Amino acid sequence: MKNLKQGTKQLALMLSFCVIVFSCNDKLEENDGQLAAGDVDYTISEDMNLPLIGAYSAVYSRGWEDPILIGVRGDDVNAGGLGDQQPLADTDLFIYDNNYWMYNQIWENFYGDIVRILSARETIQLYQNFATEEEYLDRADQYMAECKVLSGFTHFQMSRLWGDIFIIGSTDIALELENGVKTKAEVMQYISDLMDEAIPFLPNKRPNEREDVLGGVTKYTALAIKAMANLELENYQGVANATGEIIESNKFMLYPEFYELFKKPGELSNESLFELQFSDYNTEDGAANNHLFAPFGPSSWTPAVEGASAGWGFYEPSLKYIKFMIDRGDQTRLVTSVNFTPRGIDELMMDPQYASLPNYISNTTLDGDIFNDYPRAMFGSGKHYLPSNQLTAGRTSYGSSKNLIVIRYAEILLMHAEALTQGASSSAMTADAAVNMVRGRVGMPSLSGVTNDQVMDEKFAELAMEWGIRYFDMIRLNNYDELSYDGRTFTADKELLPYPQAQLDLLPLESDNN
Amino acid sequence: MKTKISLLLMLFFSICSVAQQLEINGIVTSESDGMPLPGVNIIVQGTSRGTTTDFDGKYIININRGEQIEFSYVGFITQTVTVENQSVINIVLQDDIASLSEVVVIGYGTQKKADVTGAITTIKSEDIAKTPNSNVVQSLQGKVAGVQVVSNGSPGSSPTIRVRGVSSFRGGNNPLYVVDGMFYDEIDFLDSSQIETISVLKDASSISIFGQRGVNGVIIIETKNGKQEQKPVFTYNGFTGYQNAQNVVKMANAEQFTTMAYESGSQADIEFVENAIQRFGRSRINPNIPDVNTDWYKEILRVAPISSHSIGVAGGSEKTTYSVNASYFSQDGILDMKNEYERFNIQSNIQIDLSDRLTVGTNAIFSNATKYNPENGAWFQAYFAVPILPVFDETNMDATPIPYADASLLGYRSAQNPFPAMTFNNNQLKIRKVLTSMFLEYDLIPDKLKFKTSYSHDYSTISERNVRLPYFISGQSQRETSNIRRAENKYSNQIWDNTLTYTDDFGEHNLTVLAGSSYRDQQQNLFNATGNDIQGIGLESSWYLDFADPTTFSDQVNEIGDRFYSFAVFSRLEYSFKDRYLLNATIRHEGDGRFPEKLWVTTPSVGLGWVVSNENFMENSGLFNFLKLRASWGQLANGSLGGSTGTNTISTLVTSIGDTPTNGFLATSTFRNLIREILEETNFGISTRLFDNKLNLEVDYYIRDTKDLVLPRQVPIISQTVDDNIGEMRNQGLEVAANWSQNINDNWSFSVGGNITTLKNEITQIDSDQGYFDTGSAAFRQRLIVGEPVNAFFGWEVDGVYQNEAQVAADPTAQNELTAIQNQLVPGDFIYKDQNNDGVIDAEDRVVLGSYLPSFSYGGNLNVSYKNFDLSVAVSGQTGNKILNRKRGEVIFTNDTNIDAEYAINRWHGEGTSNSYPSSEGRRKAWNQRMSSFFVEDGSYFRVQNIQLAYTIPAKALGGENMPEVRLTCTAERPITIFSYNGFDPEVNDGVDRQTYPVPAVYTFGINIKI
Repeated sequence: MKNLKQGTKQLALMLSFCVIVFSCNDKLEENDGQLAAGDVDYTISEDMNLPLIGAYSAVYSRGWEDPILIGVRGDDVNAGGLGDQQPLADTDLFIYDNNYWMYNQIWENFYGDIVRILSARETIQLYQNFATEEEYLDRADQYMAECKVLSGFTHFQMSRLWGDIFIIGSTDIALELENGVKTKAEVMQYISDLMDEAIPFLPNKRPNEREDVLGGVTKYTALAIKAMANLELENYQGVANATGEIIESNKFMLYPEFYELFKKPGELSNESLFELQFSDYNTEDGAANNHLFAPFGPSSWTPAVEGASAGWGFYEPSLKYIKFMIDRGDQTRLVTSVNFTPRGIDELMMDPQYASLPNYISNTTLDGDIFNDYPRAMFGSGKHYLPSNQLTAGRTSYGSSKNLIVIRYAEILLMHAEALTQGASSSAMTADAAVNMVRGRVGMPSLSGVTNDQVMDEKFAELAMEWGIRYFDMIRLNNYDELSYDGRTFTADKELLPYPQAQLDLLPLESDNN
Repeated sequence: MKTKISLLLMLFFSICSVAQQLEINGIVTSESDGMPLPGVNIIVQGTSRGTTTDFDGKYIININRGEQIEFSYVGFITQTVTVENQSVINIVLQDDIASLSEVVVIGYGTQKKADVTGAITTIKSEDIAKTPNSNVVQSLQGKVAGVQVVSNGSPGSSPTIRVRGVSSFRGGNNPLYVVDGMFYDEIDFLDSSQIETISVLKDASSISIFGQRGVNGVIIIETKNGKQEQKPVFTYNGFTGYQNAQNVVKMANAEQFTTMAYESGSQADIEFVENAIQRFGRSRINPNIPDVNTDWYKEILRVAPISSHSIGVAGGSEKTTYSVNASYFSQDGILDMKNEYERFNIQSNIQIDLSDRLTVGTNAIFSNATKYNPENGAWFQAYFAVPILPVFDETNMDATPIPYADASLLGYRSAQNPFPAMTFNNNQLKIRKVLTSMFLEYDLIPDKLKFKTSYSHDYSTISERNVRLPYFISGQSQRETSNIRRAENKYSNQIWDNTLTYTDDFGEHNLTVLAGSSYRDQQQNLFNATGNDIQGIGLESSWYLDFADPTTFSDQVNEIGDRFYSFAVFSRLEYSFKDRYLLNATIRHEGDGRFPEKLWVTTPSVGLGWVVSNENFMENSGLFNFLKLRASWGQLANGSLGGSTGTNTISTLVTSIGDTPTNGFLATSTFRNLIREILEETNFGISTRLFDNKLNLEVDYYIRDTKDLVLPRQVPIISQTVDDNIGEMRNQGLEVAANWSQNINDNWSFSVGGNITTLKNEITQIDSDQGYFDTGSAAFRQRLIVGEPVNAFFGWEVDGVYQNEAQVAADPTAQNELTAIQNQLVPGDFIYKDQNNDGVIDAEDRVVLGSYLPSFSYGGNLNVSYKNFDLSVAVSGQTGNKILNRKRGEVIFTNDTNIDAEYAINRWHGEGTSNSYPSSEGRRKAWNQRMSSFFVEDGSYFRVQNIQLAYTIPAKALGGENMPEVRLTCTAERPITIFSYNGFDPEVNDGVDRQTYPVPAVYTFGINIKI
C-alpha cells in the first residue's frame, strides 16, 4: 500500500512536469528568422524606394545570353563562338530547335523579371496605402509608374522574340494566364497604353537628371518605349508623336564622342534614355554588380593593361556590315562598332574589292588593346568592349563595371526620321535634320531629302549590334533579302523563335509558333 | 515487500561470503556449430556481478560456493549452473528455438523478438566492424533487405540511406537515428568500434512511436557499455590501409580526340589542335597530333591512406557501469588536393543505481573533426579537359606561382585545367559536436510501473574557412586578389522526453502500456562573411578575416537563423496472449511550428501477430522450429519538409544606381503553406526458422502510400517552383532475408545468407492541369507522371543512327517539314523513335526512359571458420535503375571538350561503324543533344562488397590466460564492381551523374586487442 501511495505522489510530480511541458505549446506559433512581407512596416514611407530598387535590380541583372540571343539573327552580326554553342550558331542561320536551353533561359529570365517588377509595384502600393503625406503619395505614384515602364520594356523584348505571348499585369499569375495568349499587336498596344498610363506620374527629366534614382526611367523613357511599340505596330504617326515629344523637350543631345559613348565616359550621358547600370564601385576588390561581358570579348588579346581578362569570342560583327561601313567611309562608327583581328582583316582583303583597306582598320583599338587571332571569331563587338585601361585598378574581368545602354537619343532621332519617311508628320524635326544630326556627330556629310532606305541604312550604321534593332527592323519591313546574306536564306516562317519545349510542357501555348 | 527482504538477505550473504570466493573459468560454445561464443553475458544470479566471454568464448569470474551463474546470449537458451567445487565450467549453449529470450530495441523500450509484429532487422557488431568507413551506416550496404545505401566517396561525407524506396519528394529521405535512446539526423560522430547492435525499423507500425522524424525509417543504435561487477576490460581496435579509385573512366587520348576534332566539321576545333601542335610540338609517332597526351583522371587521382584507432575501457561495480572511449579516424580523399577528414572522439557513459528504485545515467560524446572538402568540380573538369593540354606549361611565362597549362591559350572557351582550383582553393571545415544526455528512471511500482525522464542536447558547430589564393594562369584563369569566406554555423537541438511504462501479466495475458511526451527545440544560426585581399595570404597563420581589406566586407556579411519547436504525446499498448496472439498499437499526437496551416497531427498504428508454431497443432511439426505470421498497418506524418513560410517573405538586395551600391528588397510572389505528408503503410510478414534452426527466414511485403505528397509545382511564367501538397506516391516491395548456418565438424563451420529486395515506386496521383510535373532542368528533363516512378527520366528514344543518305531520304520523320528538315539530318545523326507513328519527331514522341531507383537489389554473405581462421565474403548489387550520364550530356553547354574513349572509339564515322553513337559532327548538333535514351544508361551493378580474413591468436598462445587476446584482420572493401555504365561509379545518389565523387576500393589491415 505504501508503494502505491508513494506512487500517487510521484504521479502528481509528473503531472506537474507535464504542465510545464504543455505550457511550451505557444512556442509552436513562433516563426524565427523569417521576415514576412506582411510584417514590413509600411508606415515608414521613406522606405518605399526599396521595392523600386528591387525592380531595377531585376531588370539590370541580365543573363549573358539575353542580349546575344536577342541580336544574333541580324545581318549586322554573327553568332561567333565557332565550335561552341552550335545551336546558337544555328539560330543565327535561322535553324531553330526549341529544346535549346538558351531559348528557355531567356523566356524565364524576362518573365521572371516581369513578376518581380509587378511584385515591387504591389509593394509600393502597400506603402502608398499607409502614406499620409502628399509628397509620399505622389512619390508612390511615380514609383509605380516606373515599374510600369520596366514591365513594358520586358514585355517588349519578349514579344519581339516570340510574337504572341501572355500579358502579365499582376502577381496573380493564374488569373493572368486565364486571359490567354495575346497577339503581338495586342501586346504592343498594351505596352503603348501602359506607357500612357505611366507618363503623367513620371519625372519630366533626363534619366541622368534624376536625384532620387540616378539613371532611373523618366517620362522620356516611357515615350521611347511607346515609340518602339508603335514602330512594331507600324503605327508610324504614333512613332512620330512619341519621338517628337522627346525631341521637343530639348533635353537630350548626342554624346559628342561616339567611341566613348559605349565606354565609361559615356555612362549615363545626356544621350541615354535607358541604361542598365553596373559597377564595381571603383574598388579593387569587394562586392560588385557586373554584367558578364566576357562572351563579347576576344578569346585572345594583348591588353594595354596587363592581366586584363580575355573573353569567349561570341557575337561577331558580320563581314557584310564591315564592308557596308567601309563603302560608306563611316570610319568612326566602324572602329567603334567593330574590333578587328589580323585574321579578320586578311579575310576582308581576300575580297578583291577590299584588297587595300583604309589605314584606320587595325587590330589595335584606339586605346591600344591588341586583338589577336582566335578561332572563335574574326571580329569583336566594339560597343560591348571596355578598354583595359578603363578597368578599375585590381579588376580584371572583361568589361567590369561597364554599363549596357538600351535606348539612346540617336535611336529616337532615327525612329522619328523613319516614321516621317513612312508618311507620318511631325513638327518637332524633319527627317533630314534628324538623320543629319546623327551623321554629324560622326563626321558624315549631311543628306537632304532622305528616303526611307537611307534612314534604314543610317539605322544599320548607327545601331548595329544593339539589341537586335536591325533584325527586328528587317522582319517588320519584310526585307528578307537583307537577312538572306552569306549563304543564309530567310523566309517569313523564320521570324519568330519557337516557344521553348519546357514552356510548351507547362503553359497553354500553341505548339507551333510559326 | 517480500522481494525487498530477499534482496537484503542476499546482499547480506554475499557480503558474508567474500572469504569463500573461488575463481572459475571456462569456455562457452554454441551447440549448433561448436564455435566459441564471444560476448556471452555471465551474471551471478541475484547479484549484479557479471562478466562476458572474450573472443574465444572464454571467461573468468570470482564466485562464492553455492551461487548460481547464469549464461545468457542473444538467440540462445539461458543456462544456469550452481557452483559447487568446480574450477572450470564449460558451457554449451543451445539455440533458443523460439528465440523467446531475444530482445529487440524498439522506441522507448525493448520487446521480445518473438512478440514483434513489424519489420525490424538487426545487425550485430561483428558485421559492422568489417566496413572501414567513417560512417557506421555504410556497413549496412547490401546487408538489410529494403535498405538502399548509396556510398559517398568523399572523406567524411555521409552515404545516402533509403529505407523502402522514396516516400517523399521534397523531404529528406534520411532515416532517424536513435543512439542509446537519443535522436539524431546524422551519426557522423560515431565510431564503428563502439557499436553493439544496429536495428533498422522499416514499417510504419514500428516507427510510429517516433513520430514525424521517423518517417524515413528508424535506425536504432546501441553502443557498447560496461556491465555491473565487471572487471575493467581494455580494448584496442585499429586498422590502417589505403584507398584506390576503381573503374576509372577511360577518356579519349590525344589521337582519338584529334580525330574527333578533325571529323567535327568545326574549323575552330581544328585550329585549336594546330595551336596545341605549335605550342607543345608534334608527336613523333603521329605528326598530326600534338606531343601531349594527358590522362586527366590519372593526374587528379591518388592512392589515399585511411586509418582508425580506438581505445577504451568498460566495466562496472556493484551499482555502477561505465565505459570510456577515445577514438581517432583519418582518411585522405583520392582527389589529389588538400582533401581529407580527421576525427577525434571521446565518449563516456555512466549509469548509477542510486537506490534499488532510482537509476540515473549520463552519456557524453565530444566529436571533433576537421574536414577539407574536395573541389568536386575537378571530376567534371577532368572529364572535359582536352588530352592535348598538359598539366604544366613552362612556356606560359606569365603564369604565377605555378605554370599550369591553360586551354584558353589554345583558343578554348575555358581554362579546362582542374589543377588551379585544386591547388589554389582550400576548403576547411571544423565540425565539432557535443552530444550530451542524462536520464533518471524511477520505479514507481517495482517491476510494474516505471517513470523515465531524459533530456538531451546536441550542439554542433561547423566552422568553414574557404580560402582562395591569388594566381595567374591566363586572362581566363586568374584570381587577382585573395579572399576568405568564413562561416560559423551553429545548430542546437534539445529534446526532453518523459515516459511512464506499465508492465503486468494476468495469467497468460502479457501487457505493457507506455505513455509519454516529447518536447523538442531546434535552432540554427548561420553566419558568414567574406573578406578580400588578405595580407600575408601566403601563410596559413594569416588566414583570418582580420587581415582582409576592411573595405571589402560591404555586402559580404550575412546572418540567418531559425528556431522551431515541436511537442508530442504518445502511447503504446503491447499485448500478447499465450505467446501466440500478439497485438501492438500506438498512437501519437504531435504539434510542430513549421506547419502553421495545420499545427497538430495524429497518427495511429496497429500490428497483429500469430505465432503459429506455438499452437498445439504445430507441436509435432518437424519442419518449423518457429513460425510467426505478422501484419501491421500504420500512419506516419512527415516532418522533414522544411519550414513553411505561410506567407510572402522579403529578401534584400543591392544594385548599382549611379555607381553607388544601393539597397532594395523584393517580396516573393509565391509562398509555401504546407501540411505534413501522411504516409500510410501496410506490412505483411513471416518470420520462421526451419531445419533444426539452421535456416532462418524473414519475408516482408509492404505497400506504402504517401498522401498529400509535397511536389514542386512549377509556377508558370516565372522560373520558380512552389511546394504544395498535390500528389500521392506509392512504394511497394518484397523483402526476403534468409540465413543458413551449419557446423560441419569441430574445426569447420559456415554460414551463408542472402537478401533480396524489390521496389516499385510510382506516382499515383498528381493534381496538375497537365497531369504531370516537370522536374530536373529543362535540358535534362525529368518528369512526374501518374503510374511512373518519381523523377522519371523523360525524353526521346534513340532508335539507331542514320547510316547513309538513302536512309535519311527514305525516313518520313527525317523529311518532315516541321522538325527534322530544319535540323538538316545527315548520316551520323540519331534516328528517334516515332512513338505515335505520326511521321513527325516532336514533343509527343517523348517517353519515360527509366528511373534512378533500382527495382531489384540483393546482397549475400558467406562466412567460413576453420579453427582460428574466419573468412567472410559479402556481395551486393542492384538492377533496374538508370543513370543520366550528364557528363556526356553537357555537350549542350560547351562542345569543344574531350569525351570518354568509349564514345570516341564507337562514334559513327561512316556507314556501318556505329548504330548507337552519333558522328563527331553530329555530337555538336542540337538534334543529337536533346534528352534521349542515349544519355540515360543502365545503372545496374554487381559488387564484391567486402572480403575479410581474420585470425584470432588465443591468449594461451601468447603465454597465458592473463595475456591479451589478439585478432588480426585483412579486409578488402569493394574490391570488385562490375557494371556497364560509362562512368566511374554506378553509385549515383539521385541518378544524375555530373560530378559524383567516385567511391574507392579500400584495403586494410586491422588489429583488435582485448585485455
